[in-house]
Amino acid sequence: MNTIIELQNISKQYKGKKVLENISLSVYAHQIVALVGKNGSGKSTLLKIIGGLAHPDAGVIDKHLPSLNIGYVPEVTPSQILFTPQEYLYHMGTISGMSRKQLQQRIDYLLTIFNMQEARHTRIVHFSKGMKQKIMIMQAMLEERNLLILDEPLSGLDAKAQSDLEDTLASLKDNGLSILLTCHETKLLENLVDRVLVIQNGQVSQTNPLHDTENHQNRVIFEISSLKSLEELLPFIEIQQQRSLNNDIKELIVTVKQEDTNTLLLALLHQNASIKQLLPTNRKKEEFYTHF
Amino acid sequence: MCYQCINYLRTKNYIPPFSIFILFIVVNYTFVPNPILDSYSFTSIMLFFLMGWFTITVFHTEEEGQKVITILHSKGQSAYNRSLFIVCVAIAFCLSTVSVIYPTLIGAFSEPPSVLHLLMGFLSHFSLSVLAIALSAIFTRELIRDRQNTWWGVLSILIIAVVIATLKNVILQVKGLIWLLPPVHLVLEMMSSDDSLKYIPTVFYWQFAWIFIYSMLWIGLFFFFLRHKRKW
Repeated sequence: MNTIIELQNISKQYKGKKVLENISLSVYAHQIVALVGKNGSGKSTLLKIIGGLAHPDAGVIDKHLPSLNIGYVPEVTPSQILFTPQEYLYHMGTISGMSRKQLQQRIDYLLTIFNMQEARHTRIVHFSKGMKQKIMIMQAMLEERNLLILDEPLSGLDAKAQSDLEDTLASLKDNGLSILLTCHETKLLENLVDRVLVIQNGQVSQTNPLHDTENHQNRVIFEISSLKSLEELLPFIEIQQQRSLNNDIKELIVTVKQEDTNTLLLALLHQNASIKQLLPTNRKKEEFYTHF
Repeated sequence: MCYQCINYLRTKNYIPPFSIFILFIVVNYTFVPNPILDSYSFTSIMLFFLMGWFTITVFHTEEEGQKVITILHSKGQSAYNRSLFIVCVAIAFCLSTVSVIYPTLIGAFSEPPSVLHLLMGFLSHFSLSVLAIALSAIFTRELIRDRQNTWWGVLSILIIAVVIATLKNVILQVKGLIWLLPPVHLVLEMMSSDDSLKYIPTVFYWQFAWIFIYSMLWIGLFFFFLRHKRKW
């Protein structure tokens, strides 16, 4: 994998509080990387440092491409843009110093790949949030980019708009773009993202629990009259919760490895237990979701 | 700059200060005849305050999210803010011209103003407008987080600048202090000349020049603060 940008020992503090501490990470070509973490964990700060919008207090940012061009889409999508996409993109491109001809070609290309030719002459202020978000990505791609940084791109979008944007991001990746984003949406993380970086206590760690198949378990809820009959099953299960119901019947919630589930269910049925619920679960995944 | 101009016009944020400007000009010249330099002096002070209003609305035209995007395309905050200053100065130029030409066109003065009157009228309007832009910009969101402080700050500094003109004798007792304070008093003094003025004294040109230099120093201060204040 070709590294396009590498961060070495990046640190940043605000008002004496360390937000980022000795962070080192690499972004590879043609990958979508998600940065997840709780509010205030420093995700946006790290994105701004990578995008060149903020300076680190210490550390080195090593660009492995001689002319690495980074596009940035901020978290806050402006709601009152009083231009049409054609006008808006034209103005942003002109401010960037692009030539008129080059700019018009690029606008046509972007409107095509984002499927927005029909909305070319409609004022952006009348667009849905999803369409506005697309415009935000388009403005970041006016110049040829190697890396696109998106701060919470799906935030506030409805399910359809999220799905549309996921398709757009996937097609951008297919076109050779690397994408670094922050997000809370697990669907996006599961379907689209190649790597997940967790930021916590100023540190970044790499994890991929969403594609982890080793830790798949099942959660079984059942009712049984005698706990003694469970003794032979104890090596397979982990009791999460138990409570007494009427008539000396107990309800248990247990977890069992995927490969032991059939054995457990068979044994329970032999002992006249009543299976109430069977749910697939992944402990690492659940631990991962506590980062949001 | 073209984008900033069009965006400002489309937001229609200019309508309140522009309406007041038109209202003041029309009402001021309802009764004729009027003295030339005295009238220009009054409308210059009026424009001085209104330019504070225009400056704030120009600097606050874009939403914060859009501002970040425009700055990114501008390749820096300095280029971005320079374009905002240019828009403000363009407004100041247009309104100064209207303020000088309108009463002439409707024959609001007791005698037709000479080129000398028109030049002094334009310089008094334009110099005070640029001074108002420079003083007000310091209180825009680029440097001040709380918007309420922006309005109080601008209003206070513009009022103080005018009050200083009336306290000149007291201020002169502290050596050098007068040079630090906004030179609104210079325009008021120059414009209190008699309408029968036959030529513009050389000192007047220096005084107008000082107002522009003083404004440039404040604008320089704005960019200095901008560079040393990292909001991100």
